[in-house]
Formats: sequence, C-alpha cells, structure tokens
Amino acid sequence: MKLRYLWQMTSMNVMSTLEYRGAFFIFMLNTVITPVISLLVWLAVSEQGVPLPYNRSQFVTYYLLLSVLSMLTGTWLATFLAEDIRRGGLSPWLLRPAPFIVHYIGNNIGEKVVKLPLLLPLVGLAALAFRRDLHLPSDPRAWALFALSAPLAAAIAFLIDVIIGSLAFWLQDVEGLVRVKVLVGSFLAGRFVPLALFPPAVMPFLEAQPFRYTLSFPLELLTGQLSAQATVRGLLWQIGYCVGLWLCYRLLWHFGLKAYQAPGS
Amino acid sequence: MSAITVVDLAKTYRYHHKEPGFKGSLQSLLRREMLETHAVDGISFAIEAGEVVGFLGPNGAGKTTTLKLLSGLLYPSRGKASVLGHTPYRREAEYLRRIALVMGQRAMLWWDLPAMETFLLHKEIYDLPPAEFRRSVDELAQMLEVEHLLRVQVRKLSLGERMKMELLLALLHRPQILFLDEPTIGLDVVSQQRVREFLRRVNRERGTTILLTSHYMDDIQELCPRVLVIDHGQLRFDGALEALVKQAAPYKRVSAVFAQPAPRRALEAALAGIPIEEVEDSLHIRTSVPRAQVADVAARLLSLGAVADLSIEEVPVEEIVRGIFGASQRQEPAR
Repeated sequence: MKLRYLWQMTSMNVMSTLEYRGAFFIFMLNTVITPVISLLVWLAVSEQGVPLPYNRSQFVTYYLLLSVLSMLTGTWLATFLAEDIRRGGLSPWLLRPAPFIVHYIGNNIGEKVVKLPLLLPLVGLAALAFRRDLHLPSDPRAWALFALSAPLAAAIAFLIDVIIGSLAFWLQDVEGLVRVKVLVGSFLAGRFVPLALFPPAVMPFLEAQPFRYTLSFPLELLTGQLSAQATVRGLLWQIGYCVGLWLCYRLLWHFGLKAYQAPGS
Repeated sequence: MSAITVVDLAKTYRYHHKEPGFKGSLQSLLRREMLETHAVDGISFAIEAGEVVGFLGPNGAGKTTTLKLLSGLLYPSRGKASVLGHTPYRREAEYLRRIALVMGQRAMLWWDLPAMETFLLHKEIYDLPPAEFRRSVDELAQMLEVEHLLRVQVRKLSLGERMKMELLLALLHRPQILFLDEPTIGLDVVSQQRVREFLRRVNRERGTTILLTSHYMDDIQELCPRVLVIDHGQLRFDGALEALVKQAAPYKRVSAVFAQPAPRRALEAALAGIPIEEVEDSLHIRTSVPRAQVADVAARLLSLGAVADLSIEEVPVEEIVRGIFGASQRQEPAR
C-alpha cells in the first residue's frame, strides 16, 4: 500500500506543480546562477596565482555537479511544516491512517521530477561553456558510490528540515531558525567554498557535522579526492545521521502531537 | 456497548495576552503572563451506534474542541473518551479507518486538481478495492448530484459543490462514525437542504453515527433527534430537541386578532394576569402563555367574541437558543 500511496501522492504533486511551471523556471535559473558565480570567483582567485588545493578543472567539475546535486538534495518543507502545525493544516493528514510524512516526501519528489527537465538544459549550457575544463570521472565505481550517497544526502537534508519545522509544536516562529539553517547549512555543506579549501585544523569538525553529508560528501566521491578509508567512513557517517535524525524526528513527534492544538475549524 | 463513551473529558489551552501595538509586542517578548482557557471542562455523555446528535452552543463553547478530541486530533488534558472501543488520541490506523471528520473550513481536497485525484489518493490510503471504490464514487456522486464535476479542478467549484465533494471524500471508506463541524457553513439555502437530505440518507441507509455542530438551527432541527448543549466547556443539556424547547421555553406564543376592539378590562381578565407583550393596535394582541394554561386562555379569549383569528405557536428554536446563550456570551479565543 505504502508504495502506491507514495506514487499517487508524488504524481499529484507533479500535476499540481505543472500548474505553476513559470515560477519553477525562475527557481532553476537561480539554482544554476549561484554556483556559476562562485565558480567564476574561484577561477579568478586561482588565476591570481594563489596556491589552492583545487585546480581549475576540479573547480569546474565541483560547481557544475553541485548545481545538479543541490537541486536533487534540496528541501523546503521546514517553513511549510511549521505553518501546517501553527495554523492547523496538519489536521487533515492526522485523520488518515497513513504516515503524514509521505505527504511531504511526495511533494519533495514530485517537485524535483518537474524541476529536473528544466534544470538539465541550463546546466548543459554551462557545461558547454566550460567544456575544456570539465572532467567527469570515468570510473563506474565512483558513479555507483555517488548513486548510493546522493539519496542518503537527500534524506539527511530532508530530516533536518522536518526536525526544524517540528519545533513549531512549541515555538511560535521557526522562520528565524530556518534562515540560520539555510545560511550556516549552505556554508558547512560546501556550497560557497569547497570544504577541501578550509584549514586543516577545522577538518575534524567539518567531517563530523551533518551538512557535509547533504552535499559536499557525494561531490567529493565524484571529484575523486577521497581514499578508500575516507569513503567508507563518510558512508557510515551518512547512514548514522539518517538513523539518528529519524529517531530524533520520531521522538519530537511523539511529544509534539500531545502539544498540537489543531487550530481552526 | 455505546459507540461513543465520554467521561469527564477536558481540554485546557494555554495562551498569553498581548497589549495592542508595537510596545505591547515588546512587553510580551520580555514578560508573558500565561493564561489558561478551559475549552472543554469535564463533560460526560454516551452515544449509541446509528444516532444523529447535534452540538449546540455559542462560539467558543467547546463544540469543535470536543469533535477534535473525539477524532483524535487533540490530546485530552483530563478524562477519558472511548470511540468504537478505541482511545482516539492514540490514532491507531484501525481507528482512523472507521471514522471521518469533515471541517467546514478546512479542506481535504487538493485545490489545483480535480476532486477525483484526491479520491484516488484516498483509495490508496484506505486500501479500497478498485471495484468497491468505483461503486462508492458512483453511488455517492449520484446522491449528491455531482457526477459531472468529478473531473473539474476543485478551485473552479462553487462553495456548495466543494462541500459536497468533501462529504463524498469523507464517506468513501464507509466510516461508522462521521464527525461534522459546520458542514453547511456559508452554503445557500438550496445547498444546505441538499446536504441535509444527503446526511439523513447516509444515516438511514448505512447506519452511520453522525455528530455535528452547526450554527444553523435548521440543521439541528431537521437532522438531530438528540442535542447536546455545551456552554463554557460544560454540558448544559442532553436530550431531545423538544425537551430542550419545553425546558427553555415553558410557554407558547398566543396571538389573537379581533374584528372589533375588545374592552381592555375584559382582555386582562381573560389573560388572568399574563402580560400582553405586544399590541400593534387594539385589534391585535400577542402574549406568551405557560403551556398548562394555553387551552384555558384560548377558550377565554374566544369567549370574548368577535375573534377573527387565533393562533398558538411554539417559540422558534432559534429564539430559544439565542435566549439561552445571549446572557452567557463571553470573549475568548475561538478554537
């Protein structure tokens, strides 16, 4: 039942999203432009002769892949979930004999299904512009590991958002928290500066914090910087975060539902 | 065993006051005086399977909160509720399959898609076999006269059409208990009538137990042989609507029209001390007579001669309810 339920939910989200496709094109433009600007900044820096751990080709590969992966692991539910809790939009879902979370998973996957065909041509154009420096790995094992790691990254990002949104059971406004998460999270995920460029002293911290596993780690797998040992360790971190965050979400909901006030009629 | 048993059920909400304006916001940021409101304050009742029961009460009386407690949306602060042998707040899948709640102002249907898509989602959530699902949709759509609207986007439907779709959706899995919160709010008279007829039929043909709140006395009068009056979170009355009317309005309204002016003194003697409420002219009087004296008063009025018309009527329920609650209205956050 669960899979058919998820399928119907996802396809309904695709259909709803298609009603507003104009807005999504703008979103996608933004998804590509931000990494391209970061890329241009770093290319300018490296041309000044500043010694950097990344060469030109690695920067290009990193940021072009980042633009696709950040869409695939993107989440936006914290604000919506908080609103649903605060204004009672959660109620209809709580009345159904099915996990409410499928509603948000369906929304997440559904929108990505619509976004991907809009995003790929834009990334294709950028790839064409940088084609001399773009070096995608030819080793199928790297791609296999990426295919394993990317869904885990999406799950971690999703669960972090669920947890932040769930705080609305107790807090009047979680929007501030959402903004802090977006800013700090983007930074710690390697969106502006690849994590490899940080000083070695902070590396143990960067490796332990969850945001690395929402974006940077799957990219590191593709840009071929990781030893076999570091690869295994990273995957274990990802699995550990998935389980830990999921338990945290269940615990928050156990108590949150007792505090839920189901406003509105 | 009763379908619904409620013992000393209570729900308390916490909230804080904020003085108006920006200054008030700053003060409330630094120091908050937490207040409590007892939305439902220790109510007990039992409802048998197949009953249709109406909740009456002013805004903020605790009607909707009671429905939310019974459907498992809210966690009670005190007391016990048992519905079909389940404890609602546990929200077990087995329980949720057997009930439905329709909230007049909270849509389950997807705004941008035709109602049929939400019905299909419902089919997956409740594991309805395809043949049974199709039969249910056809049957309910026919009863509600919405067959031609199943493939129209919900946002293009009128309010009445949308409410019919919400009801259709809620009944697809054949719930044994249907909770309705203001099911006819905002609907025109014809749509209200259709919805009432539909609910009556659902109760009769499927034996569905129905609990409903409504602002429209017509809903209660036409649908609910039994009413629960809730005020300030407490149960004030539980029984037949007629019994409520007798209790709250122990008199009937007697009007008489005379062909020629009746002498004042003779009139007062006929009424035996009952005050005349309204005299539009000396030809037309209206008065409220205790039930036990209605026959006598009517006979005496007729004996005065030259009575062109005499009518004896129940006080309108609407007016009675206004009378009961008029004095007890209070300002509290609506839930």
